[in-house]
Amino acid sequence: MSKAEEEKREEVRIGVYVCHCGINIAGVVDVKAVAEYAKTLPNVVVARDYVFMCSAPGQEMIKKDIKEHKLNRVVVAACSPAMHEPTFRAVVEEAGLNPYLFEMANIREHCSWVHPDVKEVATEKAKDIVRRAVAKVTYLEPLERIRGKVVKSVLVIGGGVAGMRAALDLAARGFDVHLIERRPTLGGYAARIGYLDFNMRGADLVKKLIEEISKSPRIKVYTNAELVALEGSVGDFVAKVRRKPRFVSDACNACGECAKVCPVEVPNEYEFGLVNRKAIYLPFDYAYPRIYVIDPEACNKCGKCVEVCKPKAINLEEKEEEIEISVGAVVVAAGYRHYEPKEGELGYKKSKRVITLFQLQRLLAEDGPTKGELVIDGVRPKSIAFVSCVGSMSTTPEAATYCSRMCCSSALKDILRIKERYPDIDIYYIYKDLRTYGRDEDLYWKSIEKMVRFLRYEETPTVTPEDGGVTIELFETTVQERIRLTVDAVVLVNGMAPPEGIEELSGILKVGRGPDGFFKEAHLKLRPVEALTDGIFLAGAVTGPKNIIESVTAGSAAAAKAAALVSKDYVEVEPITSAVNEEICSGCGMCASVCPYDAISIEVKEGRRVAKVNELLCKGCGACAATCPSGAMQQRHFTDTQLRAEITALAKGVIP
Amino acid sequence: MSGEKWEPKIVVFACNWCSYAGMDLAGTSRKKYPPNPRVIRVMCSSRVSPEMVIKALADGADGVLITGCHPGDCHYVTGNYQTMKRYHLLKKMLDELGFGDRVRLEWISASEADKYVKVITEFVEHIRKLGPIRFREEVVGSP
Repeated sequence: MSKAEEEKREEVRIGVYVCHCGINIAGVVDVKAVAEYAKTLPNVVVARDYVFMCSAPGQEMIKKDIKEHKLNRVVVAACSPAMHEPTFRAVVEEAGLNPYLFEMANIREHCSWVHPDVKEVATEKAKDIVRRAVAKVTYLEPLERIRGKVVKSVLVIGGGVAGMRAALDLAARGFDVHLIERRPTLGGYAARIGYLDFNMRGADLVKKLIEEISKSPRIKVYTNAELVALEGSVGDFVAKVRRKPRFVSDACNACGECAKVCPVEVPNEYEFGLVNRKAIYLPFDYAYPRIYVIDPEACNKCGKCVEVCKPKAINLEEKEEEIEISVGAVVVAAGYRHYEPKEGELGYKKSKRVITLFQLQRLLAEDGPTKGELVIDGVRPKSIAFVSCVGSMSTTPEAATYCSRMCCSSALKDILRIKERYPDIDIYYIYKDLRTYGRDEDLYWKSIEKMVRFLRYEETPTVTPEDGGVTIELFETTVQERIRLTVDAVVLVNGMAPPEGIEELSGILKVGRGPDGFFKEAHLKLRPVEALTDGIFLAGAVTGPKNIIESVTAGSAAAAKAAALVSKDYVEVEPITSAVNEEICSGCGMCASVCPYDAISIEVKEGRRVAKVNELLCKGCGACAATCPSGAMQQRHFTDTQLRAEITALAKGVIP
Repeated sequence: MSGEKWEPKIVVFACNWCSYAGMDLAGTSRKKYPPNPRVIRVMCSSRVSPEMVIKALADGADGVLITGCHPGDCHYVTGNYQTMKRYHLLKKMLDELGFGDRVRLEWISASEADKYVKVITEFVEHIRKLGPIRFREEVVGSP
């Protein structure tokens, strides 16, 4: 130890406080013996025990000692730091100490509660734990919380119901919103659902939301737009957004002459492939913006549309552009993708008599390809079998393991609508499990009244299309019999899957995904709709299957949290970030290669390569510090010196 | 250690978000386990450098357990993959030196109190069977 270090060490004055936690600790650990032991440790000036350190008198005791004994370090031996580290950091700060000159010794969760039968051993262990904390606190250094600016606007990704709800709520609170949607129109899946319930059509809901958005001066909508990069950090992001060419300007009056002359036909994704559309098309009548769009993959650039366009709105040479948007927070409402059965999976695409639930919802919609008439493969069916859990609940090898949550209710709602309009249609509902949870249980009982026949399977049924019908064979588990029935049409009740492009989005946003592929929230109960990356909020089905009610609720929740963030004057970041000692750093870049947040860059300074840490991006994992071959990179509050002191205190039994 | 019964000294590195929380849960659910582990908290298992593990053994630990979030579940996206890569290299080196059996890496989530109890109980018994580390100097004296 150098002379300077020795002097620095002599100045260290530690107070150790051993908590009884009622009898939670004191009932097992001899707290007085632990406090006495603490007094023997180097630099410990005062050590006490008290019944509840977290109580007001306990906190006062620490504050008083800091002043009277000129303490500059504090250890509280009590519960887990997850419980009371913030409490005691605030206590030492109030007494004028830097809050980071504090360390917690966990002698409750890690000692008294788990070793109640071996009191003497537990007491010795508690002494070891206190020694570790004293060793660490000896080497701790004061830290300042890092402050960053907050841009007062929010980026919302996804123009479905959750994203639109979030955008409207944020605008209502007075924040500017940039709403980006990768498709040419707002609306998402909800726009394509014939009926949401008995009274409301998907179109009604989406029209209402679009109307409000189009009136809001605070919301700027970018369709045909995708996020390609997100730079910066909480409070101060720069989003790079790619606007794909639409080839049609807002001079378009949606007359439709262009589509009439367009010679190219492709399946219409807005009708789930039931009918075709042209290469130039309007997604649907109430699309927003109500401007035609050219599908660049289908278009053959024949130019016929340009010739007939009276307002001269079409420009086939339009190029994509990249724009930068500054925002303080991001709401991710990227939604989901419907599970598209594989060809031949349960007869799908082997016959036009086998359709999906999403296609059925288009057939029931007045603005759909049959104007709301139930016509499948050119005939009005007399019997329909619904096969549920398609793509969910491990029904087939391709299927997800989760329940898609909304499909049972959605299918039964459509069944009741069919029964109302066509009482003579026989309906079978073949399910693996029936989950009409909450109020939707009513749909089940109403379906029973309407004589819908429910059949349960465990082993996935076989669906065989035949001439003029479809045959289904299954082992019905309630009657324990093999059943074979022939119907006019089959509806595959397909579920939800993670949205297209979620892999790329996960990389751009640095938001992790669960084993099911959906985005993960920071904590389902403690931090709902928050991503683990600060400043990013998750709304709607992007975190897993949800119905519309749940999606819009999550949209409002995410908006509330984003608003709470961007209404702050500044953001504070825990200063346990990494810092580089430029004198030692050789600029090898190993640190940068392991950083999960791209927070480290290698820069040339005075002719030398050195690492540079962006402290607002750094989340303080310490991977760089462990990787650095020279010790130039250190994580604050978890430095090599501090961690070595802890190791020696525990393994050797002395404080270095 | 003369006269006193030898007990394995285990240093445990625990990541703040998963493993440390899992150990806390073992406490709040009053699960019992051997009193041998001594825990050092880091924010992420990727902070644990090979040097720290070797130092623990050199300073007198009989075994070292590194714990982190399950793959794909890391609070810091990819931190535990760094831990895994480093651990396998370290393990190879320690195997050569005869210490490989005394270091272990386990994934323990915040909800896996039972798993921690199982892992630590087995590891303590495993180290007990191996006995204390005795360096050459202690056995035959300094050269």
